[in-house]
Amino acid sequence: MATEPATETTLQGPAAWEEEADREHVHGLGPWKLGLRRLRRNKVALLFGLMFVLLVASCVAAPIWAKRVAHTTATANHLSDVIKVDGKDKNVVGLDGVPIGPQWLKADGKFLLGADRNGRDIMVRLLYGGRNSLMIGIVAALITMFLSIILGVVAGYFRGPVDAVIRGLLDIMWSFPVIILGTALGVALALGGLKIGPIHVAVYSLTIPVLIIGLVYVPYMARPVRGQVLSLREKEFVEAARAQGAGPIRIMFTEVLPNLASTIVVFFTLLIANAILLESALSFLGAGVQAPNPSWGTMIDEGVDRIATAPHLTIVPGLMLVLTVLSLNVFGDGVRDALDPRAKVRLEH
Amino acid sequence: MGKLGRRALVLLVACLSLFVIAACGGDDDNGGSSSSGSSGEAKDGGSITISQTSQPDYMDPALTYTVNGIEPLWLVYTPLITYAREEGQAGAKLIPGLAEALPDISADGKTYKLKLRSGLKYSDGTPVKASDFEHAIKRVLNLESGGSAFYLVIEGAQDYLDAGKADGDISGITTDDKTGDITIKLTGPDGSFTHVLAMWFAGLVPGDTPFKNLTKDPPPGVGPYMVTESVPNRQFVLERNKEYDKNPIDGIPSGHIDKITTKIIKSPQRQAQDVISGKLDYMQDPPPADLKPEVKAKYSDRYEEITTASTYYMFMNTRVPPFDDPKVREAVNWGIDKPGLARLFAGEVAPGCSFLPPGVPGFDEALDVEDCPWGNPNEPPDLEKARALIKEAGVDGMDVTVWSNNDDPSDKVGEAYADMLSKMGFNAKPKILDGGVYFQTIGNQKTKAQTGFANWFQDFPHPKNFMFLVDGKSIQPTNNQNFGNVDDPEITKGIAELNKEPDLTKAEGDWKDLNRKLVERAWIVPYGHRKLATFVSERMDFENCTRFHPVYFNDYSSFCLK
Amino acid sequence: MGRFIVRRLLQMVFVMFAVSVLTFFIFQVIPNGDPAERMAGKQPREAQIQAIRREWGFDDNKFVQYYTTMKKVFNGDLISYTTQLPVMDEIVKGLPRTLSLAFGAAILWMFVAICFGLYSAMRAGKFADRFLTIIALIGISLPVFWIGALMSYYLGYRLGWFPNGGYVEFTKDPVDWAYHLILPWTALAILFIGFYSRVLRSNVLDTINEDYVRTARAKGLGERQIMIRHVLRNSMIPIVTLWGLDFGAVVGGGAILTETVFDLQGVGQYAAEAVGQLDVPPVLATTLFAAFFIVLLNAIVDIAYAYLDPRIRLQ
Repeated sequence: MATEPATETTLQGPAAWEEEADREHVHGLGPWKLGLRRLRRNKVALLFGLMFVLLVASCVAAPIWAKRVAHTTATANHLSDVIKVDGKDKNVVGLDGVPIGPQWLKADGKFLLGADRNGRDIMVRLLYGGRNSLMIGIVAALITMFLSIILGVVAGYFRGPVDAVIRGLLDIMWSFPVIILGTALGVALALGGLKIGPIHVAVYSLTIPVLIIGLVYVPYMARPVRGQVLSLREKEFVEAARAQGAGPIRIMFTEVLPNLASTIVVFFTLLIANAILLESALSFLGAGVQAPNPSWGTMIDEGVDRIATAPHLTIVPGLMLVLTVLSLNVFGDGVRDALDPRAKVRLEH
Repeated sequence: MGKLGRRALVLLVACLSLFVIAACGGDDDNGGSSSSGSSGEAKDGGSITISQTSQPDYMDPALTYTVNGIEPLWLVYTPLITYAREEGQAGAKLIPGLAEALPDISADGKTYKLKLRSGLKYSDGTPVKASDFEHAIKRVLNLESGGSAFYLVIEGAQDYLDAGKADGDISGITTDDKTGDITIKLTGPDGSFTHVLAMWFAGLVPGDTPFKNLTKDPPPGVGPYMVTESVPNRQFVLERNKEYDKNPIDGIPSGHIDKITTKIIKSPQRQAQDVISGKLDYMQDPPPADLKPEVKAKYSDRYEEITTASTYYMFMNTRVPPFDDPKVREAVNWGIDKPGLARLFAGEVAPGCSFLPPGVPGFDEALDVEDCPWGNPNEPPDLEKARALIKEAGVDGMDVTVWSNNDDPSDKVGEAYADMLSKMGFNAKPKILDGGVYFQTIGNQKTKAQTGFANWFQDFPHPKNFMFLVDGKSIQPTNNQNFGNVDDPEITKGIAELNKEPDLTKAEGDWKDLNRKLVERAWIVPYGHRKLATFVSERMDFENCTRFHPVYFNDYSSFCLK
Repeated sequence: MGRFIVRRLLQMVFVMFAVSVLTFFIFQVIPNGDPAERMAGKQPREAQIQAIRREWGFDDNKFVQYYTTMKKVFNGDLISYTTQLPVMDEIVKGLPRTLSLAFGAAILWMFVAICFGLYSAMRAGKFADRFLTIIALIGISLPVFWIGALMSYYLGYRLGWFPNGGYVEFTKDPVDWAYHLILPWTALAILFIGFYSRVLRSNVLDTINEDYVRTARAKGLGERQIMIRHVLRNSMIPIVTLWGLDFGAVVGGGAILTETVFDLQGVGQYAAEAVGQLDVPPVLATTLFAAFFIVLLNAIVDIAYAYLDPRIRLQ
């Protein structure tokens, strides 16, 4: 049988777009505008991006829901309360300890998704939990990004002993068993907060999980950044800048960083997704967000105990978690395809 | 072969070697349970597999102090005195164990005379000697068991402890191996001492038993069962003590089941699911609240709830603001939502106000419910009063940390209690610790724990066993059990006085009085008494062969297969 | 090559040392109560507490303490605060379980990921590809403990298709051993399947465009032969290195969640329980063990990679 024409199986996806771009004669546009065009064409990615925005928005609107619709807070217990559902009285938590299931709109929006064992409104906790989870995820991702860029750029640009030291540091961070250490730190610090000299972090603050998660992913991003800087360093425009007498710091800011921008942008979405997952894992183990504050991870932990009588306690926060992370992943994927179709941007070695 | 080939081979070899390591694991888990050869007529025989949620603190009679250890070990080590193997109040009756009869107590209540039965042998055939009793007590003291406090009332015990020498002598215990006579002198009369003699700590072990924690290799004992295997954190095995079966003691029947394998399964859900499906025959803890409705609905023919002599309460540290103010303590008693808390236990806690629980002399049924000074515990609390009192005390808005542990549902209780305190006007937040370190942490004065979760199950049916929790004299800097540092001179004096009276029926009225004063003065916040359960698999004969003992809970020697 | 290996191993030792120092000092900073008091048990006497202090060197300066503790680790003398039992025994008992889990899951995810990735690449742009991409993305978005808990309950208990958690020794019954591990393997593998299938897919797509592939086609080789002999082999290189690292990471800590959900009582679960109790010796020991695994696999991967790519040896 004759071989199939070479073009059929090869140029799909990113490579195809390159060809397309050739055909459409849009070389004049800068890389960002080009990226935006490609992104706009990726309907799926846009859809998921929108989903993420909606999820964030609803979590930000948590206080509105809590005050206006549910008339409660994320931590208020309603163990002995009775509510009116379709005119009838119902125990929020039955005498046998089973909380009511999703009421949807039957009780004017109260206990929309039901109650947990302490009689707390799950919808309210879900939204507030989302706030906590998202906040931790985003801030941790920012920390990771910030540190990774500094370490990666410095290591890649200066090379030599500086590079060796930073690589060693990254090696050590990389080797730390994340979950064990993260859990240990989280649990211990939950006991008494953190006291290092003048710095004092209270127990209920979310700073502790944020710091732990932020540090954990630094090696994952720092290495690819370093790799890219190593190759950028040799490019002509850097040589030119050096020839003009620009100092290293200036070069790093004006020449290197902008070229890292697309890598950074793509990494950022992936980092947030992973940070959110890690936070939920730590909270599940009791080392992240501390009771009574909600987070999707703690809600799943509480829900697993009740999976036989009240599966919604486990399923609902899990679904929110999955949808948020998924939307970030799909959108991030789309951004990567759009900005840098050939780039091997992965969280890798 | 090519590069890929060679590389793949290297990986394959690495993988295989890891595989070999993985496969050659240690030998522990047993398979499922097997049934006896003959079915039908003989109710004796067979093996069962049961579960506990966590490893017993110790598998050593001198050291264990948790239900996990006590429930199996009381069938392995019998003290001089023991309890009747009956349910309910009948089970609280003291009967002779390894001694011939109940002790002969002198008029001044300070000398106890007993005689060891003759012809007794341990599970390994060693004959039992009277001096073994002193050896057992020495182990309890020397190994610094949690139970040593009970035996310090023996003359010379404190000196023995202070001397620190294992082979020292306790002057208050004299034994004669030839006649089997045992004489115990106390430093002062103690009405609960016969019960103390009946505790598992005083279970006799051979005189050459080493002075160390024998969890991995428990010593032989006299009892219907013996420990044949002990793998910490995995399982332990009890088998019928053939030596005992040759000559069982009156009142302590032999077991029916030949072999009982206890597995440590951390998830109560899994345990319940396995008992339902028959993979497990019994679970020590009650089925989790999650599966209770299913169990009650479908398996009520092998499930029963029994109220135990236990009290669940909140402690309030009287040495630390705001609970140093009696008004505040009263406020909490007014405002705590007892029916609400009961829901967290899925109905396993009967709301009540009395500190002494049903089953312990001194329990006052009226005080517990209708005559409760803080309102009927089955009704909603009086939040208004609580709030008013707190405002009056000037501590409105104060930060309060509520301590609890993560054993289900104590963590939920902690969160709910914090919420209740917040409703009363405080700014309360829960702090949940791991069950393994919780009591040590709140028992340490340095922690300055303000308030939190506490509970107590009776060690023996005597009010002293509960009242020591609120006795000013039992306050310690570490390992404190009087978490609230309760120090009411009248109550402390009352406890000391009533303790001396050996006849409980005479003192019962006075104990009742003391209990009432304790509750009325708002030193603690009792909110109920716990029900435990017996839940067994299909193949177990639930009707005839399950006995729930008031002190030792489920009696394995009563178990039999259908 | 030999010099590279030596250098790499030395690096490994250095990193392990640094990890042990850091771990030890981290636990000095965080509060966990007086360790001597905790080890002395329920009703400690002053003399006993002092004896423990001397034996462990709690009163010595930090560096001596470090040395004493490390010595205990290697001698197997490390005792848990809460259970008073030797830590190394527990780790040895748990090791086969953790390795069984990690290993089985790793094989599963590689196999499935290769199939998915390859198929996806061959049908690039078409429906099958898009569908598999979405599946992969969902895979990497699922929290392992959530999906594990749901599978364990619905498939294990309700439907009874699989055992309800727990572990059976391979030596006792290999079939039962595998039967108990199917759900945990699946839960753990889902995440990695998603990740690896996409990496493989993009590697394959890139490789397809390489010149030597065009040459092979020009030579007249069949499409399937090209795929397997040239494309797949070369796309696998980065995959294999990633695999080594991820396997190390799973043993080093990823297994904790799966073990906890399915009650496998491996090293990960042991660590998680010890952490909850702030029981420092087991946490220290399991951290070192996990780090060792990660570092070891890192080194193996680097050495393997250097063997294949001479340029790296010279770095």
